[in-house]
Amino acid sequence: MLKCNGLTKAYSKVLFENLDLELGSGEIAAITGPSGCGKTTLLRCICGLEELDSGSITLNGEDITSMRTEDRGVGLIFQKPVLYPHLDVGGNLRLAGGNIEKALSEVGLEGFSTRSIASLSGGEGQRVALARALLARPQILLLDEPFSSLDHELSLRLVEDVRAVLKLRNCSAILVTHNKEEATKFADIILEIF
Amino acid sequence: MKTNSLIFALLLMMPAISGCLTETISKEFAGDQVMVPDMELVIVTYDVSGLTDSMLSEFENQTGIEVTLIKLGDAGSILDYLLQHDGAQTADLALGLDNTYLQTAIEAGVLVEHLAQIENLSDSALEPYDGPLAVPFDQGWICLNYDTDKVDGENLTIPTSLWELTQEEWRGKVAVPSPATSSPGRAFMTITTDYFSNDDDNSTEWTDWWSAMADNDLIITSGWSEAYETHYTGGYGEWTDGYIGDAYLTVSYCHSPGVEAYFGGNWTHSAALDLDGASFHQVEYAAAIDGGNLIAASAFIEYLTSEPVNVNMPIENYMYPSLEGMDLPETDGFRYHSIIPTNSANVSMNTIAAEMDSWILDWNAAVL
Amino acid sequence: MKNIGGKLSVLAFSSIVLIPLFLALDRLVWVAGFDPVQWFSAIEANHLSQGSVGFTFLQAILSTIATIVIGLPIAWQLGRYKWRGSGLMRAILTMPFVIPSIIAAMGFLAFVGPHGMGFRADQDTHLWTLIIAHAWFNMALVIRFTEPVLSTLDRDLEDQLRLLPAGKTLWGKLRNLWIPLLTPSIAAAACMTFIFSFTSFALVRWITPLESTLETVLADVGERAGISGYEVYANDLVLASSLIQFTVMLASLWLMSWLQERRQSLLPQASENSNLKANPRGLLILVPGLFFALAPLVTVAWSSLRIPVREQGELTYHWGVEGWVEAWSGGYSNTGVGDALLNSLGYAGITLIVALPLGWSLAKTIHELELSKSRWSRFLDVFTMLPFAFSAVMIGLGVLLGILKLDGELNSLWLLPVLPHIMLTTPFVVRIMLPAFRGLDPSYDEGARILGLSQSERFWKIRLPLLRGPLLVAITFTLAMSLGEFGASWVVARSGEWDTLPVLIDSLRSRTGWDPLIQPTAAAAATTLMLITLLLFMTVERFRPKGEGGMF
Repeated sequence: MLKCNGLTKAYSKVLFENLDLELGSGEIAAITGPSGCGKTTLLRCICGLEELDSGSITLNGEDITSMRTEDRGVGLIFQKPVLYPHLDVGGNLRLAGGNIEKALSEVGLEGFSTRSIASLSGGEGQRVALARALLARPQILLLDEPFSSLDHELSLRLVEDVRAVLKLRNCSAILVTHNKEEATKFADIILEIF
Repeated sequence: MKTNSLIFALLLMMPAISGCLTETISKEFAGDQVMVPDMELVIVTYDVSGLTDSMLSEFENQTGIEVTLIKLGDAGSILDYLLQHDGAQTADLALGLDNTYLQTAIEAGVLVEHLAQIENLSDSALEPYDGPLAVPFDQGWICLNYDTDKVDGENLTIPTSLWELTQEEWRGKVAVPSPATSSPGRAFMTITTDYFSNDDDNSTEWTDWWSAMADNDLIITSGWSEAYETHYTGGYGEWTDGYIGDAYLTVSYCHSPGVEAYFGGNWTHSAALDLDGASFHQVEYAAAIDGGNLIAASAFIEYLTSEPVNVNMPIENYMYPSLEGMDLPETDGFRYHSIIPTNSANVSMNTIAAEMDSWILDWNAAVL
Repeated sequence: MKNIGGKLSVLAFSSIVLIPLFLALDRLVWVAGFDPVQWFSAIEANHLSQGSVGFTFLQAILSTIATIVIGLPIAWQLGRYKWRGSGLMRAILTMPFVIPSIIAAMGFLAFVGPHGMGFRADQDTHLWTLIIAHAWFNMALVIRFTEPVLSTLDRDLEDQLRLLPAGKTLWGKLRNLWIPLLTPSIAAAACMTFIFSFTSFALVRWITPLESTLETVLADVGERAGISGYEVYANDLVLASSLIQFTVMLASLWLMSWLQERRQSLLPQASENSNLKANPRGLLILVPGLFFALAPLVTVAWSSLRIPVREQGELTYHWGVEGWVEAWSGGYSNTGVGDALLNSLGYAGITLIVALPLGWSLAKTIHELELSKSRWSRFLDVFTMLPFAFSAVMIGLGVLLGILKLDGELNSLWLLPVLPHIMLTTPFVVRIMLPAFRGLDPSYDEGARILGLSQSERFWKIRLPLLRGPLLVAITFTLAMSLGEFGASWVVARSGEWDTLPVLIDSLRSRTGWDPLIQPTAAAAATTLMLITLLLFMTVERFRPKGEGGMF
């Protein structure tokens, strides 16, 4: 259960002001809007990678507003899969700990644990990133336009798969995207920013 | 007329030496000047402070001979240089070989009889060597120097025998340059070979003393300046960076305290140890090199041993002159704080040349 | 047609490097006899070389550790955070590397000595002063190698790790990101620091005069070597020291290239600098770092104007330019600073004229071999690094003894010191230009060919302007290294009539210091050299595009 109250962030222009957001457990939300309007920044603020000007964030009853990123229990998937090339797939997953083989089969990548990062396609890479993020057992998973660099068919397929896994695990998530079709397919709730 | 006597004589001999040379050499008599223009002189020397620019330019003005210097590390380097270039010498004059190196140079045949006419060399300067192959231009006595503030002040008394230095109170307080890499060090080692053969103790050798000193934390440095400047407390070292100051006794010249006083405004706390048999008479030589320009070399030798130049040896080169009747100046206590030892070690040049290699080997074995 | 230039340059380089060394080796073995046991046992059998092997290793290892400990935090601050004036800071921190070693030695001794900060000087202090001095000298390597890696790191890698369990702790971040990222550059810097410290000459001679390293042993006995029947032990020592040095250096070079290859930095780099905002606490590291870099240099300049006067055992100072007057007029030496400087500049200029085209041509040849996948490329690459495996004194001795064997007359050539300078600087040119050639986009050249430009036009109008950055770095390095070169020049130039400025400074400093004016005089000469070097360096830094320059 995520509760955001009065979030405000401004750089040279105001990105968001007095934003309230609430997400129930197991719920999946999507935030859409044009590029540059602050969606990514919002996610990064929830993670703690960037600082809010004002506001508070509560996650499952705990106030995480001033917590370190490492302690918040939030997961993030980036636009391009951030995999460490000096480790193989298994090594990357081990950064999260847990049952690697199970996680791989969940995302449809059985037997991939010894593959090198360089040999993965874009879609495969995002699946590994997802598997790793879920292995970390986050209280909420944030996704920053992870499907936008993939081709249309692949991305839609991935959207469905990812939603299925999240629902299976009853994991809340927020997806940021500029693609309305993705948002509709993925989320229970949609937030539009103008 | 002394300066131009040689040149004059040579010029008379010119036709005998080479016909074409006569045409190129012009004579100009302007008072005491005789010019031999278009000649070059290459001097190989260690970094002798006495060869100042003014001294060299005066020589050049007087004779028209252009001088270039090859500056090496110390007296030993000069010998090395001559031996390295045997058969293909590039220098005309060797300046700074002393009586611990001269015999080896003579035996190697790298020196040649000079043509200079010199009078008035003192007996002491001629004492180690009085021959045609090398001319003494300065001299000194190597001996131990001690810090008067520390010795004869603290628990230490002025030593009356070298064996005292192996006692506990002298542990780590003596600094000596290595004979392998330093010519004063070499001279000091020579002193010890003679000192311990003359003492009453027949059961010990000089190498035993060195071993005992090594056991007593003797500081052995690579050169004189490390011993005197970095370790010795009695000298100018305390004003330098890198000063350690842990030795109260070191090897230097018997007139070093005089030099200290001269530069210190008639004040020093260093004194020379006048211990029987524990000093060495060192003479430095100018020698013409076989295969070099004999005329130019000889002209310089005459110049260096002429009175107006040689009298400056103490001030310019911190050594005694080699001419008769000359002494250290009295200014600022230079003469007052210097001593000439009454009883030096007596080791001939031949002995040194013959024994030096085995001495160094024995020394190495003793101190390791 | 291109091949002829390449082949000529390889031939020229081989001759310059190999012939003198081979001749010297031949002469030494002829005098000493071929008995390696005797050579090596001579080291411990002679007082002057006893313990030199152990001490050389000890100070080199300690120096390497100290350099990394001091340099890494500075590189971290500079690379990770955005600072105003970071270009200037980087330049100041690199200055120590291009300053001649004797100036460093002078500065450090003055700084810690009884008239500077006054740390009690004894043998232990001297060792630590040497270690710190080496760290000062070489921290530029750590900074130059690791800072670009840090500043171009894709930030996402760091952020992502913070959101994973393995990245929660500091150790987790180190293990999974920073160590894999930085190991190649730290390893490279460490190997080079080790090599430089192992063969350090001026600093060891001045700061720890009581200790001997293999390099100082070589310098002490070198002039006695090669003479038949005379002080044969000198030959043993030269052979043994050279062989040990050569083996260790070669092993270090090999280790460095192995480490770099094995742990190639695979981590993706962003194309722009992605620095974080500057953390003011970083100043706690940067300011002392800058102070550390500048302090010895400022000390030297300052002590050239501070004239000591000794009266009745009391030391007083007054400010004055007498030291400068003496230095320039040559009062205490037979060459004035002006003449020695001209000599040095002359040598540097000639070195540049030879080493630059030679190094360029060698780099180009290696690159072409790489493109055609020839196995010779690797061999040539290592071969051009060969002079790195020889220390400066070794090269000087090699030239001295080798050329002597050829013809004694040649030893009085004014040009002779240029030879070791060329040997020492050409590998640097190759090291700088080779990555530049590799990074050159071939489509530039191809486009020019399509437009109809001739080969020389392509060279002057396309290639040269694109390579302007690395070329300027190569030029500065060659000039600075030649100007400041001491070890080889000390061996070679001293036996001739021409003083280079570093050799002059050394001879001033080594004079008996009865006259207190000698110290400021030496400092004045040193300051002159320092200012010229800095001027060179600053000029290039202004014209160099940021982040370019291969290794430097």
